[in-house]
Amino acid sequence: MSWAPNPAAAGGAVRREDPSGPRRRRGPGPATALSRVRSVSGAASVAGALVIWVALLGPVIALLTHLSGHEIISALTGPGDLDPLVTSLAAGGVTLAVLLVFCTPLAWMLARGSLPFPRVWEAGVLCSLLLPPLVIGLLLIFMVGPYTPIGELLNATPWHLSATNTFLALVIAEVYESAPYYVVGAQAAFADVDPRMEQQAALLGDRPRRVFRRVTLPLAAPGLGVALSVAWARAMGAFGAVIIIAYHPYGLPLQIYITLQETGLASALPYALVLLVVALPLPLAAYTWSARARRRRRG
Amino acid sequence: MLDADVEVDRREFTVCATLRVAPGERLALFGPSGAGKTTLLEAIAGLVRPRRARVELGGRVLTSTESPGACFVPPWQRRVGLLRQDPGLFPHLSARGNLRYAPGVDPSGRELAQVAEVLGLSGLLSAMPARLSGGQAHRVALGRLLLAHCEALLLDEPYTGLDASLRRVLTELVIELTGARSVPAVLVAHELAEAQAFADRLAILDRGRLLQVGAPDEVVLRPASRRVAELVGYLGFVTRREQDGAVAGIHPERVVAGAHPGHGVVLAGVVAGGRPAGAGWEADLRVGDENVVCRLRERHAEAGGELVVTAIDPPWFGPDGAAIDPPGRPPAPAWPPDPEQIRT
Repeated sequence: MSWAPNPAAAGGAVRREDPSGPRRRRGPGPATALSRVRSVSGAASVAGALVIWVALLGPVIALLTHLSGHEIISALTGPGDLDPLVTSLAAGGVTLAVLLVFCTPLAWMLARGSLPFPRVWEAGVLCSLLLPPLVIGLLLIFMVGPYTPIGELLNATPWHLSATNTFLALVIAEVYESAPYYVVGAQAAFADVDPRMEQQAALLGDRPRRVFRRVTLPLAAPGLGVALSVAWARAMGAFGAVIIIAYHPYGLPLQIYITLQETGLASALPYALVLLVVALPLPLAAYTWSARARRRRRG
Repeated sequence: MLDADVEVDRREFTVCATLRVAPGERLALFGPSGAGKTTLLEAIAGLVRPRRARVELGGRVLTSTESPGACFVPPWQRRVGLLRQDPGLFPHLSARGNLRYAPGVDPSGRELAQVAEVLGLSGLLSAMPARLSGGQAHRVALGRLLLAHCEALLLDEPYTGLDASLRRVLTELVIELTGARSVPAVLVAHELAEAQAFADRLAILDRGRLLQVGAPDEVVLRPASRRVAELVGYLGFVTRREQDGAVAGIHPERVVAGAHPGHGVVLAGVVAGGRPAGAGWEADLRVGDENVVCRLRERHAEAGGELVVTAIDPPWFGPDGAAIDPPGRPPAPAWPPDPEQIRT
């Protein structure tokens, strides 16, 4: 029995095909039409991408066109001009350390559902993500201000710590502004790790801590890297909470704001450029590394 | 010796089974999806906490809920290897990194080289898992368990999704390696042929209960109950009302064309339909009110035609579904008949 279609049976008499006739009258064949549609949609997507890039990078381009090398050098070479940069970098570094130490285990436990009432925890993280930074700053005054129990406790330490207008206050504000971004990102990164990988590692003889170090952490690393870099960018740009509880010492965002208020837009632009240079490369590098690591694992 | 007596609560039922697997022995757990096969393996591996259990491996108590002396050895101290359908290779490590993952792997690399040689992985050691084919990934996973010196091997439908020839090669490899290392092995399978190809003994599990354990051919030819018969592929059940309602189980592959009353039950019926099956022909035979599926070597009748077949030495079941002796006559002689007998 043959499965080849029988044209006579299917449509009566066999029609003779004229390859040049009817095809030309009907216009392009399906393959040509498809390739045209593809080329049109390809051009449209490139144009769309260009529009998005111009819209997103427009302010950066505008910033670069309004700055000359001479202006940047003269704005940043005076005594104490780089102090805001140093303050921001130091506070950002401490913030990242705090996030790594305290928020990584929280994110892992949220991802594995090992905390009691996990939805309550998640709601808490989400609320802190949704709160306007300025409101966070106001609420922090009531929580860690000098006349609160925590504030008094800090003052009672041998170092007479204060959580307002100090480096510690800056770190607290940055942690509050950036932690939810890190926790949400890190939770997603840990949730991406198949728990059966961890089971397999355990069955091969690894204790839980060793499994975490050898399997969970390396597999979650690309996602953790991106989450951490986003948190870094948020910490570097933290302003709303900072202006309320950490007016001193100045970090870069506050320096930009004060310079803008006191001497105008032109003087603030070099600091804006510095902030971009400090805040952006880490997220971009983390994203590139993460994409490469994921591609490598997918083969 | 792997000795497991386990009761694990699941939402729908309790998995309750007792297994004894000797060193080098291979047991296949066969049953429908959701019967509790994987749960049983996970309880042995220490991945789920049983309600009541006693699991021993090579004299070591791994789980015991009996007090005093209750204990639960964590998975990382059990030395039980588990190979699932997904080989579970660590994607951030090369094949070599995966093979030497276990803490106790010989650091000199000599044993790793030997295992890689046996498994045909010598040229693939620096490849990342994403670059390996399904069969290669399974061989790496198997090698990883061997290098970890697991004292028991649990295989949870490990070859699902691989093609038949690859499955056969890997099954033979596992048989050879478990025999050479005297490791008890338990395979969970949902294809009977796979279970038969692997196992010394076959255990039938249904809704958490072990229905029968025995040699694979014994379980298939002499199922302990009608339910076991249904699970191992009996597709027709013919009731003999004149024999106290005894039911004969008809396995499609234990049917021959023609009447051979000395070798089993002769069935005469009308062909309701048919289709090619492998190298032969599968016919739906209507016998009275019952439908019987027969796989014959040739096409003997068209749809609507009459056909007489013999179900070779079928198992019989009582009204309660339990196996009974063949009613009213001694067991049938072996099939195919002795050529000498045919001549005379």
